[in-house]
Amino acid sequence: MALNALEETALRDLDLARARTFRPTDHLGLIRGASVVAVILLWEFFGRDVNPLFLSYPSAIARATVQLLAAGEFQRQALGSLQVYAIGLSAALALGIFLGLLMGRYRLAEYLLDPYVYALDATPRVALIPLLLLWFGLGASARIAVVFLSGIFPVLMNTFSGVRTVSAGLVEVGRAYGAREDKIFTKIIIPASLPFIMAGIRLAVGRALIGIITAEMFAAVTGLGALLIRYSSALATDKFFVPVIFLSLLGVVLSRAVEALERKMAPWKKTERAL
Amino acid sequence: MASTDEQIIAELGLRRERSWSIYDYPNLIRAASVLCFLSAWEIYGRRTDPLLLTYPTAVLSAALQLIGTGELPRQLMASLLTLGVGFVLSVVLGVGFGLIMGRSRIAEAALDPHMNALYATPQVALIPLFMMWFGLGFTVKAAIIFLFAFFPILINTASGVKNVGASMVEVGRAYMASHRQILLKIIFPAALPFIMSGVRIAIGRAIVGMVVAELFTAITGLGAMLTLYGNLFETAKMFVVIIVFGLLGVALIRATQALENRMARWKETERAIQ
Repeated sequence: MALNALEETALRDLDLARARTFRPTDHLGLIRGASVVAVILLWEFFGRDVNPLFLSYPSAIARATVQLLAAGEFQRQALGSLQVYAIGLSAALALGIFLGLLMGRYRLAEYLLDPYVYALDATPRVALIPLLLLWFGLGASARIAVVFLSGIFPVLMNTFSGVRTVSAGLVEVGRAYGAREDKIFTKIIIPASLPFIMAGIRLAVGRALIGIITAEMFAAVTGLGALLIRYSSALATDKFFVPVIFLSLLGVVLSRAVEALERKMAPWKKTERAL
Repeated sequence: MASTDEQIIAELGLRRERSWSIYDYPNLIRAASVLCFLSAWEIYGRRTDPLLLTYPTAVLSAALQLIGTGELPRQLMASLLTLGVGFVLSVVLGVGFGLIMGRSRIAEAALDPHMNALYATPQVALIPLFMMWFGLGFTVKAAIIFLFAFFPILINTASGVKNVGASMVEVGRAYMASHRQILLKIIFPAALPFIMSGVRIAIGRAIVGMVVAELFTAITGLGAMLTLYGNLFETAKMFVVIIVFGLLGVALIRATQALENRMARWKETERAIQ
């Protein structure tokens, strides 16, 4: 606590005790660290007593991680999942932004498409997984379709509402200066709705990750989701935690990356929040 | 329109009636679009293998059949019961822990590393573990729904509580309000808009949790019907269940929005974190 000169003299004159007592709120980082360490230690102690089929413990999970990484199985499945994820998500982003721009700019497109968009957006996409597996089989195409459907709606809806908030004045000025329709899109509408689009991408990245894991768990053939099912059916709880931890790290890394991209691409965004 | 404008228009003899525009009737365009889609589906669907694709009239007759035998209402009630139990549990615990984490910086520091780690984990990945712990019955479904819905409520409540102006709490304290009164009369109402938007996000996730839980446990509920008819290649019945899920999603989200508008009428621009 900074004191000004006057206060310092006053304190000296009054000879007040200045040593502050220990306050836990001054050491929040310490509490945070202690809490994490305490939970890991408790888990290790109690986890060893519990039947290993139900709950593993941190050191067993660490051993399983080393073992799985050495065998190379984990990397292969993770790579397979990530490829499918990347393909499905890119398609979702491309088509989602395209349709969102179209629906936001042209009323005919909006009225033609919005019944389907709202209906599909309201349906929990996971409910479509059995149908998609029936149509596309157990290969990569079914999983790509699931990732695509999980990711497209947040982007589409956010782009759509972003384009609709672009003030008509901006577009009018562009038109008054003789800008063609493509210039109006690239120079006015897209930059103005970029904060919304980026927020949609952030949501889509998370939803698509959930989509691919669910699809892989349901099909139980390839990918990280299949590993989860395989290890849990084999009651190998220590191995089961390896993909779980990987997925949560992946979730954190991806959302951080999108946030960084968001700050870079739409730095003028301050108070806008997406739907 | 000002009277001078009227006069000018009258003097100049300008035409004021607009020509008919299709954009004045958006629902006409929507209806035409849906009708075209359904007819194309009907025609194309009848010619394809019924194992893969069905058609609208088949879906309709399957719906009537499922309602007639009482299977659909029964499974819907089973699903709604688990959804209700899991969701109420997550609202109670989410708001409770959120208030604690928002009020006490020590509790926040001790709990938030764990909460953030659990929130970051794609929750579907934990379903097999929950199935080992809780079996395949009612408990596991309620637990999965709880897991899906808890974190948005917790995080929104905590950030709502932290956003309550310190001056309001100071005034309460100056008027000798007890700790309990400060919590119930000042902090809770002030944080309510945030809590309600947490609830709105949570209901969507709870529905996803319900579907996934039922797909994997595949014993009761609408999700189980989906798995069953998927295995039997009865596509028309699968569509019935999917449509019910869609309607359920719309109805519950609308209901939460209505509740949000009613309970947090003073909410204006505040938006909680997603």
